[in-house]
Amino acid sequence: MELFRVEDLSFRYPMAEKDAVSHADFSLESGEFAVLCGPSGCGKSTLLRLLKKETAPVGDKTGRIIYGGEADVPADAGRIGFVGQNPESQIVTDKVWHELAFGLENLGVPACVIRRRVGEMANFFGIQDWFRQRTDELSGGQKQLLNLASVMVMQPELLILDEPTGQLDPIAASDFIAALRKINLELGLTVLLAEHRLEEVFPIADRVLLMEGGRILLNDCPRNIGPRLSKLDPSHPMLPAMPSAVRIWQGTDVGGECPMTVREGRDFLKRNFKSRAKSLSLPEYKHDDAVFVEMKNVWFRYGRDLPDILRGVSAKVYRGELFCILGGNGAGKTTALNVIAGLERPYRGRVNIGGKPIKEYKGGELYRRNLAFLPQDPETVFAHDNVRADMLEILETLEIPKRERDERIEKTAGELGVSHLLDRHPYDLSGGEMQKCALAKVILSEPKLLLLDEPTKGLDAWAKHGLSEILNGLKDRGLTIICVTHDIEFAAEAADRCALFFDGEFISEDTPERFFAENSFYTTAANRMARELWSNAVTCGQVIECCLSAGGKT
Amino acid sequence: MKAFSNVHPAVCMTYFLSVLLVSMFVPHPVLQAEVLFGGALFCALLGGRRASFRDLGFYVPLFLMVAVTNPLFSHNGVTPLFFLNGNPVTLEAILCGISIAVTVIGVLLWCKCYSFIMTSDKFLYLFGKPIPKLSLVLSMALRFIPVYIRQSRRVSRAQKAMGLYSGKSIVDRVKNRMRVLTAMISWSLENAMETSASMKARGYGGKKRTSFFPFRFRTSDGVLLAGTIVLLAVTLAGAAAGVTDFNFYPRVGVIGNSSAAVAVYAAFGALCLLPSALEVKEAVTWNYFVSRI
Repeated sequence: MELFRVEDLSFRYPMAEKDAVSHADFSLESGEFAVLCGPSGCGKSTLLRLLKKETAPVGDKTGRIIYGGEADVPADAGRIGFVGQNPESQIVTDKVWHELAFGLENLGVPACVIRRRVGEMANFFGIQDWFRQRTDELSGGQKQLLNLASVMVMQPELLILDEPTGQLDPIAASDFIAALRKINLELGLTVLLAEHRLEEVFPIADRVLLMEGGRILLNDCPRNIGPRLSKLDPSHPMLPAMPSAVRIWQGTDVGGECPMTVREGRDFLKRNFKSRAKSLSLPEYKHDDAVFVEMKNVWFRYGRDLPDILRGVSAKVYRGELFCILGGNGAGKTTALNVIAGLERPYRGRVNIGGKPIKEYKGGELYRRNLAFLPQDPETVFAHDNVRADMLEILETLEIPKRERDERIEKTAGELGVSHLLDRHPYDLSGGEMQKCALAKVILSEPKLLLLDEPTKGLDAWAKHGLSEILNGLKDRGLTIICVTHDIEFAAEAADRCALFFDGEFISEDTPERFFAENSFYTTAANRMARELWSNAVTCGQVIECCLSAGGKT
Repeated sequence: MKAFSNVHPAVCMTYFLSVLLVSMFVPHPVLQAEVLFGGALFCALLGGRRASFRDLGFYVPLFLMVAVTNPLFSHNGVTPLFFLNGNPVTLEAILCGISIAVTVIGVLLWCKCYSFIMTSDKFLYLFGKPIPKLSLVLSMALRFIPVYIRQSRRVSRAQKAMGLYSGKSIVDRVKNRMRVLTAMISWSLENAMETSASMKARGYGGKKRTSFFPFRFRTSDGVLLAGTIVLLAVTLAGAAAGVTDFNFYPRVGVIGNSSAAVAVYAAFGALCLLPSALEVKEAVTWNYFVSRI
């Protein structure tokens, strides 16, 4: 049964030059799990918001939405549930139970009914353990699950989600997607999800809508999306965002049915390339002789009675390399980075930067022309109402003569591709744009060492690729980069060396190829598919290269 | 979870108000001692041994300070002990000072227990129920404050790591505070916009709101409420009848030992020990269960 149909829907924001959504035409069956994907700024969010009366943006709308046989979206807030990207700002009240009850209170439901529905939902999502907790003490994943549950208590017929996992770490994101799947399978709820983690949602989706420039480019079952997209344009920017199996299938160009999961991808590789297996030859790992950052037996804890976070950490990072620190949530990666940045002081051990102990940098000296730190939330870097003013501030502290300032800003902005954003308000930028502007701001201080905390959070595949190219460019200028990340795929592509942080210290460190080849779970999807054939092929590009050198189809 | 935390908020509130009311308005040495003892015991049960020892470091000096201040400024009383700068220091004033100190510390301890038991949601339940809008606003404010503090720490840390926070001169420091503040204003506005969108998406501003609170009035709450009221009534009746009248000036009065007075002491003592008894009973029942399993 059809739940709703969108007919020739176009939308334009006031003062905008072109349509944000143009001629969208699609319908959704009741009980379907549909995924909406596309590069940032393609109009996904606008389209989703138009489907719900309370969130619909103001502007010029043509075409129509037929919902459940009626000629417009329903006015009843409970019928369509909406979950957005930021877990924090969607929460309204101070206690978990109050947040769950909030929507029902608004609808004027009697307290005895609220009690039952809230209890039921808390049970379904496993919230009962933190039911009476304060909302500000929850983890990001718990917050987003709470947002989902507090929409679900209103018993909607359609659930719309706008990149709900964008701010979550991979484990919390998988949990969240699993919860969505459970809702869809067990409650038969229709789900429309905008998402860029396609690796995980492709196998569970019934349908994929691919948007580009405000249009719906493809509308098909997930298995056909990859083949159709590569037929349409073999260098389409959305191809790198596809699941690894699809990318390898497309890159090897052997045809046949397109694999989607790791298991199918492995079968596909074995079927087609088994007999000519060869190991991937890699250039030998070389590093600069100079050690730029050195940690010697560093111990740290946040309070006297609290447990140690860093337990004798020792590490060497060489000049000009990109060192990625990987590890689970709460392992202490960010703390290690803060210690290197001089924001936390270890109670034992030493940290040397550029051959000099961190204690000997006085005042703000460490942060001027030596070290730059990009925190997890790039919005904390900005304090003014346009990006240019923020950048000028940095140059002022460096005491750079006034006439040189503009030139320097233009140069750095040009390198990072943010010249067109300089006069915008930081909060008007998209996640990827804000990240790049924040990076531009911190590297204006001409650092020799750049510290990045989760730089790929909330970025789509295209933006991630852009970031890794920018970092490569900075490395060529001699910068040393230390990056803390959850993102295995990004580390495999960008890093010179990876290290795994566990139980307060580094337990292994090596080049990405050797590092991931040694692991069997904690490794990239491409490597899990190909490891039986070429154990050291880590990125999709490397697997494709192996396949091609193995000589096509057997 | 402590036993008294599970009591219905209305009963908790009645209880705390009863104890505080009597301790502040019926100045009688026996009742004051009971307030202090009951409060200290309850506080120790709630906070644990370690926290209680740490708190001694605060309460003992405070006690001495309050107790010493009174005889220094009040020279009433008929029994001068010695002269200080030509002014008499009297026995009555010293005893009165100790009495005031006991009351102050006792009330402070009870307030501490109050803040431990009466969490914000219980308070909202009691006072927000008649005005649902107010209760929502308070609840939002209680959420916003810790979130704001955390974000402003993040901002000031990020600014520091950009070398904007050398912190040498006062001018510099004030400028940096201002910078963090302006950043926080943009952040708050942005955050508020998203929150209001989320509120609208969940139907806020439509029909008349109801309010939901996860508290139930159980039989045990009724019993506790009745007990509190009876004990309070006996104490107040005694106070009204003049049984608990006591004066320090001009001469220290006599602590009554009539049967009526003893009844008042017993009733108020029981009132002060009620929550501690409840905690102990809970612990004992629990141990009994454990030993049976």
